[in-house]
Amino acid sequence: MKALRAVQLTKVYRKSKQPALDSLDLEIDSGQIFTMLGRNGAGKTTFLRIASTQLMPTSGSVEVLGLDAVREAKQLREKIAITPQEAETIYPLTPRDHVLLNLRMRGLPKEEAKRRAQEALDDLELTEVADVNSDWLSGGLKQRVIVAMALRTDAELIFLDEPSIGLDPVNRRRVWDQLTRLKKDGKTIILTTHYMDEAEALSDNLVIVSRGKVVAAGTPQSVRASVTQRTTRVDVYDKFNQSELGKYGHAVSIAGRFRVLTDENGAKDLGDEAVARGARVALSPVTLDDVFVDIVGEAEKEEEDER
Amino acid sequence: MSARKRLRSLWAIMYYLGFTPMIRNPLFIAFVFSTPFTLLFILFVASNGSALPYGLAGALTMVTTELGLFVGTDLASYKIQNRFQDIVVASPVSPLVYMFGVALSELIFGAPALIVLFGLMAGQGASVVSLAASLGVVLLLWVTTTSLGFFFSAYAPNTQNAFIINGFITTLLSVLPPVYYSVNVLPKFLVPFAEIIPTTEASALFQGTIGLGYSISPVSGFVVLLASTMLMLILVSFRMRWREN
Repeated sequence: MKALRAVQLTKVYRKSKQPALDSLDLEIDSGQIFTMLGRNGAGKTTFLRIASTQLMPTSGSVEVLGLDAVREAKQLREKIAITPQEAETIYPLTPRDHVLLNLRMRGLPKEEAKRRAQEALDDLELTEVADVNSDWLSGGLKQRVIVAMALRTDAELIFLDEPSIGLDPVNRRRVWDQLTRLKKDGKTIILTTHYMDEAEALSDNLVIVSRGKVVAAGTPQSVRASVTQRTTRVDVYDKFNQSELGKYGHAVSIAGRFRVLTDENGAKDLGDEAVARGARVALSPVTLDDVFVDIVGEAEKEEEDER
Repeated sequence: MSARKRLRSLWAIMYYLGFTPMIRNPLFIAFVFSTPFTLLFILFVASNGSALPYGLAGALTMVTTELGLFVGTDLASYKIQNRFQDIVVASPVSPLVYMFGVALSELIFGAPALIVLFGLMAGQGASVVSLAASLGVVLLLWVTTTSLGFFFSAYAPNTQNAFIINGFITTLLSVLPPVYYSVNVLPKFLVPFAEIIPTTEASALFQGTIGLGYSISPVSGFVVLLASTMLMLILVSFRMRWREN
């Protein structure tokens, strides 16, 4: 069963000439963790806001859990929950208050809400600070409070917009554990993230979005494999310039060095040349991070060429 | 959502956004008291007590106006800063329950000030009927100014602007017009302008209930208040955006 189906979904904001979403087609199966990757302004949040009934599309349609997100928003809202991007806690409420507010607001009886709130606080190890004014908490703790608000609702589908932003690696993994648990409970999770390791560790499927369009889709493995000709990453630290490296593969400048994504032969040739020049190089397999930079870079270059 | 769940929802919003902050930070209550009661005190002292009834009518009008307009600041904050409204929109909570919940939570902050003012009015000899009529006026003015708060919150680009607009409109509605003084002392050409301001009508009605006499006919006062309430509600229903465009 499809949890979400978007057809030719387009959004053009009033003061913008560029569409934030450009005839986007997308299908997401239920019961999985689905990730949207993309640069800032790629259209991820716009998509999430339309699908979660917060924003009207300019054209196209999106069906969530079999319900039209525009025409059947009221029924759909009974079945979804969201964690918005860059949300802030409310002064002077405690973490427990935040979770209880959301659960009670969604109509849960008091005792049930209390039990679930405690579970959500335990889930994200917020119990110690459960009754502390949220204003006194660190940024990471506040972010966990915002995520905890959505964890124990009755929603069948949860949208999370960059849920692990500002979290340290340990706490990011805590959030991952909870998202995995929700999936095991049969819920569908749709999230956006900038963290490739997060997408790789969590996602059953993912899409890479660039300028409102899907430029790559599939499992993390299949997306990585889609750049078949570029399986190896060569970091070149000196004695080469970018134009020289172009003949070995896709070369980008990163933090004072060049990163070349290439195939095995290209890597071998480049390695030989580097040895001949006495240059420092390091070889490793490509990561999803590299694939992301490669795919988004190519997509944006193609679009600029078309203009 | 069933009616029972809606009530739970409304209670949760009132409890967590009204009662809880009021108990945890009593400064919120002091804030509601501050300006209206300062003006009341100045009038009382400057007039050797004789202008106290005008001060009471003015303070009651100003507290009610503030409580309504604060809703706009709160909504802007929940929407822009906390992103709490995003969570609410994508949930079974209806816009009506949310708006009403936030408005009532604001009224909770103002309840102590309103109780003190009604007590003082009773002390000035207002009858039970007069006090009940005043309560009706408070409710009408509260709906009007709350609608105004909703209206401005929809336009506020950030919370700072919402706060500035709120302060400006409060002064414009409850200090400048004949709220702390009688409409009769205004130059004649200004009277018709003053009389279309709902706070003028509300204050004139309060002044009447505490024995100062009605400077505006009570019937026309109620009519203007009712009309402005209806007008604001219509305006808000057109302007309020639950789902953004």
